Amino acid sequence: MKVTLRVWRQTGPDGPGRLVSYEAEVPSTDMSFLELLDTVNEGLIAKGEDAIAFDHDCREGICGMCSQVIDGQPHGPDKAAATCQLHMRRFKDGDVITAEPFRAKAFPVVKDLVVDRSALDRVMTCGGFVSVNTGAAVDANAVLVPKDDAEKAMDAAACIGCGACVAACPNAAAMLFVGAKVSQFALLPQGAPERVRRVLSMRKAMDKEGFGHCSNEAECEAVCPKEVKISNIARLNREFIRALAVSDG
Amino acid sequence: METLARLVTSSIGRKLLVAAVGFLLCGFLMTHLAGNMFLFVGEKAFNTYARVLESNPFLLPIELALLGVILLHAVVALYLNLTSLAARPVGYAMKRSRGGRTWGSATMVYTAVLIGVFLVIHVKTFKYGVRPSPEDLYGLVMSYLQDWRWALFYAVVMAGLGLHLSHGAWSATQTFGIDHPKYTPLIKGAGLAFAVVVAAVFTAIPIWACWFLGGAR
Repeated sequence: MKVTLRVWRQTGPDGPGRLVSYEAEVPSTDMSFLELLDTVNEGLIAKGEDAIAFDHDCREGICGMCSQVIDGQPHGPDKAAATCQLHMRRFKDGDVITAEPFRAKAFPVVKDLVVDRSALDRVMTCGGFVSVNTGAAVDANAVLVPKDDAEKAMDAAACIGCGACVAACPNAAAMLFVGAKVSQFALLPQGAPERVRRVLSMRKAMDKEGFGHCSNEAECEAVCPKEVKISNIARLNREFIRALAVSDG
Repeated sequence: METLARLVTSSIGRKLLVAAVGFLLCGFLMTHLAGNMFLFVGEKAFNTYARVLESNPFLLPIELALLGVILLHAVVALYLNLTSLAARPVGYAMKRSRGGRTWGSATMVYTAVLIGVFLVIHVKTFKYGVRPSPEDLYGLVMSYLQDWRWALFYAVVMAGLGLHLSHGAWSATQTFGIDHPKYTPLIKGAGLAFAVVVAAVFTAIPIWACWFLGGAR
């Protein structure tokens, strides 16, 4: 099987970028898309050319490091899967596959398909945590958590922070990410002490990073590799309204 | 004061403003639609309704408030859209929807512009247009709507309004944080039904005027 890869090549953050075509032989349809890029890179290196830069780490859909828009969809065409879980059996002989970096002002291109997603980390440092005193671990049953709340918090905590929601959003908004991070604590008693400060602070950081606004188009939910629901955006909105009402500031 | 500042300076707060004002405009649409029903009753009923409405001393302040509400909805939404354009300075060479977007959500800006242009024309022709006689708003309305080109224009704009509401009504509830595993599908359905009913009944007026009363010109 042979495919044509159209890959976004960009020398650096300020360098001009363009789509470059590569003919690629696919030795096995069981190989992943990232393994195909590895194969193409081996050929490029052998020819003395610059290898295609792309992000990856665990290659098993857990770390959230891979970050490409493949054929117009973040993480490619498969539902509930990261780029690393996309396999070549998804394509046909002669297919033209387009790979681009995640596009957002808050995600500047570092090189080729690699973008800097530190903006999400900076939002996290503004409240995406709970403050606890160190010492002996408290008894697990000392603070009771309703089962349903625990399940919803766990679903929100499934977010791996890959940024596909931002890449898919027509407005480049980060509301699903921030919604998930606010939700996972808002649903639990451990998150209660910093509840108001957290949502106000993370919202402020989100806007400061230059993400767009949410227009409830649900493209984020559709591409999320961890199937995080837009219910978390509604909860973020509720948390924000509540914080406005109860905040002393 | 800080609460107010947070409301008007944050992306979520601005969305809340657009949503709240959108709800008010939905209320206005229902009132307008109810008033328009007199057109179906007949010339005398509609002109009496118009006379009673126009003789209300609170009409001017209410109209000014309505203008303010419409401008607030439009200006804040426009500002949000501009920030979103800035949030993605370099677009994709290839972009495909995964099915989250609907026709309504994808065309919000375009239908908004269509409705904005329509409002100017609508107010100019019907509020400030020359009536056959001072008490005959019915005659003025019919002089336009019995022209098939005007009737078609109204039908197209009302389809646009329906498309706008099909996303806007539900989207506003989501912005207010109203979400429930059982009731969200119902709210979405109700929003869609509201959009269809508003668009269909408003469209029925030019169709009725053009093709059932005196024939199209």
